[in-house]
Amino acid sequence: MIATAETIEAPHVDWAGLSPLIAVFLGAIVVLLLGLSRSRSARETAVPLLSIATLAIAIGLSVGRWGERTDLIAGALRLDELTLILTILFCVAGIATVLLSWRHVAPRELAHGEYYALLLSSIAGMIVLVAAQNLVAVFVGLELLSIPLYVLCAAEMRRASSLESGLKYLVIGSVGSATVLYGLAFIYGATGSTDFGRIAEVLAGGDVASDVLLLTGVALTIAGMAFKASVAPFHQWTPDVYEGAPTPITAFMAVATKAAAFGVVLRLFDVALIDAALDWGPALAVLAAITIVVGNVGALGQSSLKRLLAYSSVAQAGYMLAGVVVATRLGLQATIFYIAVYLVMNLAAFAVIVARERETPLGDDISSLNGIGATRPALAWSMTISMLALAGFPATAGFIGKFYLIEAAVAGAYTWLAVFIVVGSMISLAYYLKVIAAIWMQPAEDDGTVVATEPVPLADGGETPLLAGGAEEATSARGQGELVGVAVVFAALTVILGIVPSPLLDVVRDAGAALGLL
Amino acid sequence: MGEVLFFVAGIGAVAGAIGVVALRNPFYSVLALVSHLLCLAALFLLLRAEFVAAAQVVVYAGAVMVLYVFVVAYIGGQDEPLGPRAGRGLKVISVLFGVALFIELSIATLGSGLQLVDSPGAAVAASFGSPAEIGTLLLTKYLLVFELASFLLLIAVVGAVVLARRRGGLSAAEEQERYSAMDILRSSYTGTMAEAVGGPHSLPKKAGAAESAPADDPAPADDPAPAPADDPTPTTEPAPAGEPTSADDPATPEDQR
Repeated sequence: MIATAETIEAPHVDWAGLSPLIAVFLGAIVVLLLGLSRSRSARETAVPLLSIATLAIAIGLSVGRWGERTDLIAGALRLDELTLILTILFCVAGIATVLLSWRHVAPRELAHGEYYALLLSSIAGMIVLVAAQNLVAVFVGLELLSIPLYVLCAAEMRRASSLESGLKYLVIGSVGSATVLYGLAFIYGATGSTDFGRIAEVLAGGDVASDVLLLTGVALTIAGMAFKASVAPFHQWTPDVYEGAPTPITAFMAVATKAAAFGVVLRLFDVALIDAALDWGPALAVLAAITIVVGNVGALGQSSLKRLLAYSSVAQAGYMLAGVVVATRLGLQATIFYIAVYLVMNLAAFAVIVARERETPLGDDISSLNGIGATRPALAWSMTISMLALAGFPATAGFIGKFYLIEAAVAGAYTWLAVFIVVGSMISLAYYLKVIAAIWMQPAEDDGTVVATEPVPLADGGETPLLAGGAEEATSARGQGELVGVAVVFAALTVILGIVPSPLLDVVRDAGAALGLL
Repeated sequence: MGEVLFFVAGIGAVAGAIGVVALRNPFYSVLALVSHLLCLAALFLLLRAEFVAAAQVVVYAGAVMVLYVFVVAYIGGQDEPLGPRAGRGLKVISVLFGVALFIELSIATLGSGLQLVDSPGAAVAASFGSPAEIGTLLLTKYLLVFELASFLLLIAVVGAVVLARRRGGLSAAEEQERYSAMDILRSSYTGTMAEAVGGPHSLPKKAGAAESAPADDPAPADDPAPAPADDPTPTTEPAPAGEPTSADDPATPEDQR
């Protein structure tokens, strides 16, 4: 009690280093308040524009901090190139999500201010999560990422599947968070510290690495993070949640949440727990192999594009995990590179899905793409490029990413995992090419501008809900400029990064050097 | 004395936890949870974590549990089982996973935790875990986390409010604002917001599901939507002049999603 009389020295706050995070937080608050405005144009136009501006500012501030490597606020966060590149990726995904939501029904149902504020705070949570170098900060970042997403999944409140998606994600996500917390508590109990640096010192210094308490903590943490990154066998929620959630949110979850989960896994395992790598390496390798098989086989029978991409994202998580497993600098670089190209490829695909959901009454069924090669060439080419890149075709970014991952796996003495990646990619062609066949080889059912006057039966016996993704402008291709723009820009980026990958490779090399791995 | 208290509190905590899942009546489940939390608080006291023990009693056993009791009393449903009956396979698998986790944790605690029972314990300062120490940590080492937690609470409240808001969140004035001449020209079922929102002439859609979504309890989400016969606003009421055609049609079952 006497200690309270002493003055406490406040920790130094490096405002410049924190600026990207602060920009996103401030943006979220301003957007939330602006959403209360009575003017409809302020709510429906200014709010999304302000969200984009916020994210653009955060990108600018991140670029400005490039090259710095410091601890922020008593070592809670780490500012380095890994944090910065992932921050930029989250903001890019956020801008794309805002554009995809522009005329979508979801923000209108949830109210614009709240929708975009939740999106921004989720991004802030991701930034905290990947920058965290303290177990407590990791957990708070994880919750700040997840809780807004639970609500956003249920944003289309009048659609039962959206509510189901939100509820499922809430239940599963809470189990995942609790598992992570349990694991982190064990790690703290075994090492006596919550700081990554101190944990690494303790592990390097003694026989704690083989301590059962620590290994239990690591196992529970792996399980919890696997829930978030939808790594098999913790992936069961993924198809249902991705299918039910509003499509822009699905796109955001597929790319940004996955990137955040892998960001924290990289830092936690390759910095704090690096000396226990002999214990967690094989476990993660087996998980990666299972994930590749389960994701690719699961995607084969899907007729819904969102479910297909959900299983595809499970498989892709398996590929990325291979880069974490090897615990080398090459593996780290390969994982970050793949996270970046995965984001680019997937956003193009989801933009096309959102566009077709509005143009056709078929929702996200694969038949909604029938014949768009002739009627909507921009969307058709974007989807084709994105599918080829996800499969890993040469001259696309997906090929370079997989090549890099396989190289890292072989160099890290996990050749059998590289074989899994190659075989998984071969299986994946079966379903990615199915989508391409629908685009170019199926006859167009409509010219894409006719609106159904009655429910259309789907292949699985159900009926399309008339309002699937229903926007006010459900009638034609007009007012779709932002969707086509997103699709074309990201498809073009996919090709450019496939042909000239060196700029991204240089950036990734900086990030790889930041963690100090061999 | 300490050992006796440990075993009393430990057995009480386990019994309370079993009671939460085993009792069929939700109200008794809540009471079992209260006794579980009180026993946990006693265990915290044995660990000399007075602050955590007090917070446990005040926040969990006190405030949170009162909320639970209110929810149970408000929703009622004491005669309905919680959720659908799980299949046999699911039950077996869940028991297997539970046993596996129990074995894993037993190995962990027996393997390293219990070795330290006879040792003097971890070398911590005498003030470790005191309120002053915790306060100092929150304002120095965990300053950022402390601030983030406040933002997290804000965003959680925003999320809960938007989900639990009355479903007619779009007021009548706003509804009117979105109608235009195009609405009259457009045929019905074009996927417009007017149809989705329904306006005054459609049935209350999914009111039960929508309102129960943010609750912790998944069971009520399975409730069927209120029967149309109970609807006080008849759907066949003729539309006033000036209503758009898209809202004119009486809501058909296909429209109910």
